[in-house]
Amino acid sequence: MGVRARWRRWVARRIPAAAQVQLNQRRIFIMPDRVGAAFAVVLLLMLLAAINYENSLAYGLTFLLAAVFVIAILHTYRNFAGLLLKAGASTAVFVGEQARFKVRLEGVEHAHQAIGLGWPPQPLQQLDVPQGGQRECELSLPALKRGWLRPERMRVESHFPLGILVAWSWVDLDQAVLVYPRPLEGELPLAAGGSDDEEDEGARASGQGADDYQGLRGYQPGDSKRRLHWKAFSRGQGLLVKDFAALAGRDLWLDFQALGGDAEERLSRLCYWVLQLDARQQAYGLRLPGCELAPDHGDAHREACLRALALYGSKP
Amino acid sequence: MSRGQPSAIQPIPRIALTWLLVAQVLVILPHLLHLPPWIIGLWLLCAGWRIQVYRMRARFPNGLERAGLMIATAAAVFLSRGSLIGLDGGVLLLVAAFIIKLVELRSRRDALLMIFLGFFVVVTAYLFDDSLLAALYSLLPVTALLAALIGLQHSGLAERPAATFKLAASMLLQAVPLMLLLFLFFPRLGPLWSLPNPQQSTTGLSDSMAPADVAELSRSPALAFRASFNRAIPPREQLYWRALTLEHFDGRRWSQSAGSRRGGAAQWSPQGEALEYSIVMQPSGRPWLFVLDVGLSELAGASQMDDFRVELRRPVLQNLLYEARSWPAALRQPVLPAEMARRTLQLPPVGDPRSREWAAQLRRQHERPQALVAALLQHFNREPYGYTLKPPPVGEHSIDEFLFRTRQGFCAHYAGAMVFVLRAAGIPARVVAGYQGGELNAAGNYLSVRQLDAHAWVEYWQEGRGWVSVDPTFQVAPERIELGSQEALAADEGFLEGSPLSPLRYRDIAWLNQLRLAWDNINHNWQRWVLGYRGEQQLSLLQRWFGTLEWHTLVPALVGGGALLLGLLALWLFKPWRRERDPQRRVLRRFESLLRRHGLRRAPGEGVRAFAARAAQALPQQGELIAAFAAAFEAQRYAGAAAAPEVMRRLLRRLRRELPWRARPATEDQR
Repeated sequence: MGVRARWRRWVARRIPAAAQVQLNQRRIFIMPDRVGAAFAVVLLLMLLAAINYENSLAYGLTFLLAAVFVIAILHTYRNFAGLLLKAGASTAVFVGEQARFKVRLEGVEHAHQAIGLGWPPQPLQQLDVPQGGQRECELSLPALKRGWLRPERMRVESHFPLGILVAWSWVDLDQAVLVYPRPLEGELPLAAGGSDDEEDEGARASGQGADDYQGLRGYQPGDSKRRLHWKAFSRGQGLLVKDFAALAGRDLWLDFQALGGDAEERLSRLCYWVLQLDARQQAYGLRLPGCELAPDHGDAHREACLRALALYGSKP
Repeated sequence: MSRGQPSAIQPIPRIALTWLLVAQVLVILPHLLHLPPWIIGLWLLCAGWRIQVYRMRARFPNGLERAGLMIATAAAVFLSRGSLIGLDGGVLLLVAAFIIKLVELRSRRDALLMIFLGFFVVVTAYLFDDSLLAALYSLLPVTALLAALIGLQHSGLAERPAATFKLAASMLLQAVPLMLLLFLFFPRLGPLWSLPNPQQSTTGLSDSMAPADVAELSRSPALAFRASFNRAIPPREQLYWRALTLEHFDGRRWSQSAGSRRGGAAQWSPQGEALEYSIVMQPSGRPWLFVLDVGLSELAGASQMDDFRVELRRPVLQNLLYEARSWPAALRQPVLPAEMARRTLQLPPVGDPRSREWAAQLRRQHERPQALVAALLQHFNREPYGYTLKPPPVGEHSIDEFLFRTRQGFCAHYAGAMVFVLRAAGIPARVVAGYQGGELNAAGNYLSVRQLDAHAWVEYWQEGRGWVSVDPTFQVAPERIELGSQEALAADEGFLEGSPLSPLRYRDIAWLNQLRLAWDNINHNWQRWVLGYRGEQQLSLLQRWFGTLEWHTLVPALVGGGALLLGLLALWLFKPWRRERDPQRRVLRRFESLLRRHGLRRAPGEGVRAFAARAAQALPQQGELIAAFAAAFEAQRYAGAAAAPEVMRRLLRRLRRELPWRARPATEDQR
């Protein structure tokens, strides 16, 4: 572990994390790969044949291929160097999904052939970058834990042109994906007067649960179809939606403390209900130990709640 | 470190497969000259199968079929070569394996294995043919193999066959300087262990000679060796190249005696001026070297034997370069040891009575051996003896019939008969086999000696004078010695029989002859400087360049030279002077080079705007675009607009599309 940690520190110093990294001589490593080692063995056998038969042409071919091996270092380096890697935007995911990281590769000075990137031991993605152009690629990692998912350093490599040498770099594009807890279906964890006889029936259940059903108003585009008053529609009164707007007095509070189970399970259930209530465009508040989000609705509110759930318990 | 390779079976890209097939044909082609013809059938079978697999019309062979194929091939190799080991059997097996691998070609690993096998098969081809043409040709399969290696990469480039081949060829070309450096300096070691050599059927002198064998040789234009002299080339009649002596006569054949085979040295003292020369010998399969009459070579392992032949410990199986010195006037063995006298007076107990009788008669007439030899030579000269490569057949008493009945023959007949008569007269004598003369290549100032120059002459021993060489053939056919066998025998029907296409036949056509001699000169230099570049040659060359040879000066020279070459190549590849770090300036540079093709050059110190205005005047149709580009550049550089080289690039692309590739001559004048 000591060696690994020291190696990581050394790489971090040499190739600092940045949203944009251009590969240059400080950041590129080149070594013969396994095919190169086999090639070297073949060269050795050819040299033995040349020595034992004292054959000048066998010497010549051996030296020619050995020289190709050496100048392949320059070619491999040239193909790899100058590649510009840029971090792309990434979106949050839930635990159990694949976190997707977008990386943009730009060939600033010349084309780059057969660039592979990814996180070993997963197979690397292969792509070519044209001169002056760019390629985008999406790498995925399984999201196993809620919170920020910061991938390890990404391996960028190329075996081009002969496959006997590998040029590689470990790049940290400073990317992170927020991982929300895995949504887990369950009872509504209501605080402050949540009734006990909750039925798990979606809108109806919540509609009955509190006194906040105000009445009906005309349907406007954008209203959730779940809130359509189908009985009124069947009576020929046109499209009406149930209005839950006025919740000033009795807010819906999703409360961590109102749930049983361990912390992760509670967070999962809260996550489920945040998504449910958001889908119903119902206002809700979230109460976590040490954090309280006032009842509201809308995308921004949902994101804030999910973020709070994802980062619960982690250091700021 | 490299753990990124997925372990699943990776398919072979189509282009790699194509190049591999092409490379395989190219690799095997030179081998076909010495491999049995069934190998072509095997190749067609395997290639056809693999192509059908590629077209999804067949499947890969299963284990049983593969085993059957391998066993059948091994049996075929054994039948045609007699063994599975040894160089010929081994190479055949290697080529067969290289071919069979084709039907097992599934994954990248298989392809890599096959490419590496291919390189090795190319090396084995050198053991059979190391001529200049073979060497040049072998670059073709090597390039194709490298192209296949590139084709294995998952790259867009690797899908274009021509580009792949071009990259492989350019890499080979760039590797040449470094290769030359390694070739010059890499220390040449002797063989680490002995290996079987190719069994080439070489024509040449053997240790036993019947006259018909020499006639056989004279039909062959094959090269025996080439000799170049440090000073002037001696006249043709002095060029007697000794290979070995034939001391034992059984009534029909002359052969090397058991005593001379045992070896040992003879006493002699050099006299007169020494001749210095170097010889590049073709593989002969025999241990003896060729030297002018009495000579020495400092080649390791070469020693002079008691009949003055120079012999190596091992047979010469590949081109050999050696330096030698000769003393034609040397005094050889003034005192004849009894054992040597016994060997050189040996005659079969019975046979050829008339010759024996004649010898006794000569002996009575001439007291001194010198006089007897003179009389014998005079006899050959005066009597109607004829020189021909197709003498009439002789019966049991071959010497008698030749001397007194047919009187038609060539060097082997005359030398044999003369030695017989001398021995019968009590004078120690032996047949010397070797070559006489050689063809002068004026351009390279060297002599080419061919098999058809094979010759046999006589040396006899005389008290006080030691061994003396005489050539009875000279008495019969002086033109054979003075002009050479090619001139002397051109009309003879036996000459060059069986080689109707030999360029030697067309020596009368001047330009063709010149071409032949020039080509021969190139081959001579190739053998001397490339193929003969072994231990001693390397040492002497490096000594000439560096004075003394010490590793603490040579190794830094080698490493420094390699680094220098690599540095130059890196400069050429990366062209750092062309690199512009600033992306806007880089686009500007491209803009300028585009306009330069239309005769517009930005003067030093000329602002971009002024230049653009001038360019817009010269190219009014594109004026707007040029002005827009200049404005974008200035806005981004100086007016604080966001850096957006893409905008400039887009403008440049449009401009490039609108402008013709080259300027018309009219605009050229505006410079």
